[in-house]
Order: sequence, then C-alpha cells, then structure tokens
Amino acid sequence: MTQTEKLVNRLPNDVGGLPADAIQRVDHELEPWEKRCHALADVLDFHKLINTEEKRCGVEALGAEMVAKLSYYERWIVAFANILFHKGILTPTELALKMKEVESRSSEG
Amino acid sequence: MTHQHEGDDHDHDHAHPHAEIGEGRPGYYDIMETAVRELLIEKKLIGADEIRRQIEVLDSRSPALGAKVVARAWTDPAFRARLLANGRAACEELGISFYDDTQLIVIENTDKVHNLIVCTLCSCYPRPVLGLPPDWYKAKPYRARAVVEPRAVLAEFGTIIPDDVEVRVHDSTAMVRYLVLPRRPAGTEHFSEEELAALVTRDTMIGVVPATVDITGAAP
Repeated sequence: MTQTEKLVNRLPNDVGGLPADAIQRVDHELEPWEKRCHALADVLDFHKLINTEEKRCGVEALGAEMVAKLSYYERWIVAFANILFHKGILTPTELALKMKEVESRSSEG
Repeated sequence: MTHQHEGDDHDHDHAHPHAEIGEGRPGYYDIMETAVRELLIEKKLIGADEIRRQIEVLDSRSPALGAKVVARAWTDPAFRARLLANGRAACEELGISFYDDTQLIVIENTDKVHNLIVCTLCSCYPRPVLGLPPDWYKAKPYRARAVVEPRAVLAEFGTIIPDDVEVRVHDSTAMVRYLVLPRRPAGTEHFSEEELAALVTRDTMIGVVPATVDITGAAP
C-alpha cells in the first residue's frame, strides 16, 4: 500500500490491529469538568442532538494531530462544538463570546 | 521481560497532561464545556438540571452492579440462562436501568473459551453495569493489540490462558456492549451470593483476569 492509501484506509481512531506499546494499567479520577463533559455527552444523546456515532466521527474529524495531542475529554468537547457548528445549533462566534464571559466570571471570583 | 504486579502498575497519568493549569482557575476545555452547556440551556435544547442529574446517574454506577449480576448468575441457573439470552433484560430484572440506548451481550467464560472485551474504535463499554471504563481501556495499546494478540495482552495482566482454551475477543460498538461472565472460582460452593460478589472485580468482567478467591483475603 502507498502512504496515501494507508491514510485512506485507516481513520485516526481505527487502531485495532496496529502495533502498539505495552499496556500501562493507568487510570485517574475524573476532573469535575471531565465528568460534566461525560454527562453532557449522555444528555446530548438523550435529546438526539449528538449520538455516539456522531461523537466518534466528530473525534475522527479532528485529525490525527489533535487526536494524538488532546486528552480524551478535550477531544470530546472540541468535537461537540464542531458538530454543533456543523448542525447550525451554535455558531463559532457565539461560543467564543460565551467562553470569554465564562472566563471573566471565573477570574472575578 | 518486566513483570507488573498489583503494587507497581499505577503509572503517572499520560492520558491527562493538561490538568495542572493554574490554581483553581478553569482551563480552556473546562471553560469550553461550561460555555457549550450554558448556550444549549439558553436555547432550551437541554434542561438546566439535566447535567447534574446525569452526573448522579454516572456516580451511581460501579463494578459492584456487575458483580451482583455475576454472583446471581453463579447461584441461580435460571437467571444465568436469562442473562446469556438477553443481558439487558436480565440486568433490568435486578433493578439496573439502562440509561443509554445500548444492548448488552453477556459472554460466558468456560473451561474451553476465555472472553475479552475491547472497543477498538473508541471506548464503548457496558457503562450501566460497570460505570466508566479505566483509562487503559481507552488508550491505544489495549485497543490496538487486544484484537491481534490477546494472549500477549492477557499475559501483561498476569493471565496465562492454556493453549487448548480458545480466546474470543469481542469488539464493542455504539449500540452493542459486552460483559464477561467469569468462571466461578473452585472452592466457593459454600459462599453466599454476597461473598461471591466480593470476588468479582471490574477486570474480571472485562476479561483481563479471572475471578479468584484470594483477592479479598475475606474467604471464610
């Protein structure tokens, strides 16, 4: 297979069967925001806004570099934002303004 | 070969490098989550209280629920048959609700077959009965290797499967999740259902280790 054929045949998430390192039996308690992010995923699914398949596709669409560099729930929240933009539910400007507001609120405290 | 025993397998958290941003100040992704959630609430697409309530649901799920299911299957052959026929319905019988839209297939370990679950594409997992998956289940090494060299993966968990026992790997999907029904350890004939449940850990139900009597030291 050529280099580009390999890219076509395997999306970033499709790792089954690839060579990989020894398993490190790591785990961590979720940060509060990570748990909220997980709950948000479930609630988005309940309301048929984003289902599990769409979420996975949204993570794949981040591309190999982001998939590799962002942590698990970082990938999720960025994918959610992108999917919501794509569906016309949110706009990038709206999100940017809201993030600014949330940030200023937390720095006041 | 380096051996990993119980004490020394808690490596630092590579999957989580961004936690230490500032003291108490929320990070970029934390802020993004809050912003997305608040916008959806403002647009009345989700309810104001729904995230909090779903966090309560998530917190109510742990491997103890799966352990209860396994212990019941070990002691009640009719329940075991129902569980293997329809995992979700049998769990619901024990009061375990499925908050997501998934089906559950319970696969039984025997002296001929050892089962292992994985999600090669992401991190699908029987969350209603086990809670959230551990980080290693979501990380590339386990997902990549479990489907091609399950015996080597199992050996890294200290589990050696004899050559005459078939290893079956079950790759989960968004809609279909798996749970391993481990073998009941020998010498537990007089154990109560509760004592049996104490032998059933998360990892036994993922299929990476067998259930054994010596994990708790509580064997009567």
